[in-house]
Amino acid sequence: MPAIDFQPHAHDLLWGMSAAQLDAGAPDWAREVLAAAQPVVVRRGPAPAGQVAVGVRGRGREQRYASCMPLAAISRRVAPEQLTEAGAGQDAWPALRALAWLAPQLDALALSWGVTGGAGYQLATGVAVLHANSDLDLLLRAPQPLERTVAAELLALLDRALCRVDLQVETPAGAIALREWAGPAPQVLLKTNHGPLLVGDPWQEVAA
Amino acid sequence: METLSFAFPAGLPASRRAQVGCVGSGDLEVLLEPGQAGSLNIQVVTSVNGSAERWRHLFERMFAGANPPALNVDIHDFGATPGVVRLRLEQALEEVSDV
Repeated sequence: MPAIDFQPHAHDLLWGMSAAQLDAGAPDWAREVLAAAQPVVVRRGPAPAGQVAVGVRGRGREQRYASCMPLAAISRRVAPEQLTEAGAGQDAWPALRALAWLAPQLDALALSWGVTGGAGYQLATGVAVLHANSDLDLLLRAPQPLERTVAAELLALLDRALCRVDLQVETPAGAIALREWAGPAPQVLLKTNHGPLLVGDPWQEVAA
Repeated sequence: METLSFAFPAGLPASRRAQVGCVGSGDLEVLLEPGQAGSLNIQVVTSVNGSAERWRHLFERMFAGANPPALNVDIHDFGATPGVVRLRLEQALEEVSDV
């Protein structure tokens, strides 16, 4: 096993978790996903020392199972930033064609961005989870505050894409929805490792 | 996709409307409008099937015996966790409450 010298981030895909590492109450479909050597998705949440909070992804929205994975079991990690090449032909699902259209424009932002959700999972694994009505889920890393006017311009770009695009802005404190930050709400939902919070400034560190 | 309806006893109608939240994975959109005196009606359209019991428990904990304002509540849920639902409802209720 390789030594793990990093802390995985929310939305990273991790390989190496075995069905035996699930708790006894885990559903059969989750065991089958891991027995097939599919990756798990890092989620935001507390985990015991030496472990990371993850979700197992099955078919459909109902098949999501929260668990924890030992860091020592990680054999491979793919971050959303590594999944920006849609390689989509004209016959690809709208989510992948939207990605191919958006990629050069997002590259021009000079901020790291990547693909999460079903599109990221499919690009990383080859497992066909997308369909004609799938959204495109994206992540943008914003270590410094993103002006709300800039957020509104970016949202206008995303709303011209071929399918619905959800972009999460990752701040040092957690993640917010670009759509909400681009709007007028004085307080926005910040998803942190310790649960969701309503905050005025999502770049301000929050006390645990 | 599932549409669920809930009703609770309530007090006087709220004095204004409010819209909070956001359409997107793991979140929900909540629209509150003043309702008929005495009743709080909630309609939930959710992308998660089989979640009626979970919603009923959540609303009961928030509204049963709490004499909430009379409201018509429309919720569009995109797989939000109970923690997110609660925060969004509290955010919306704060906006319609008299300051």
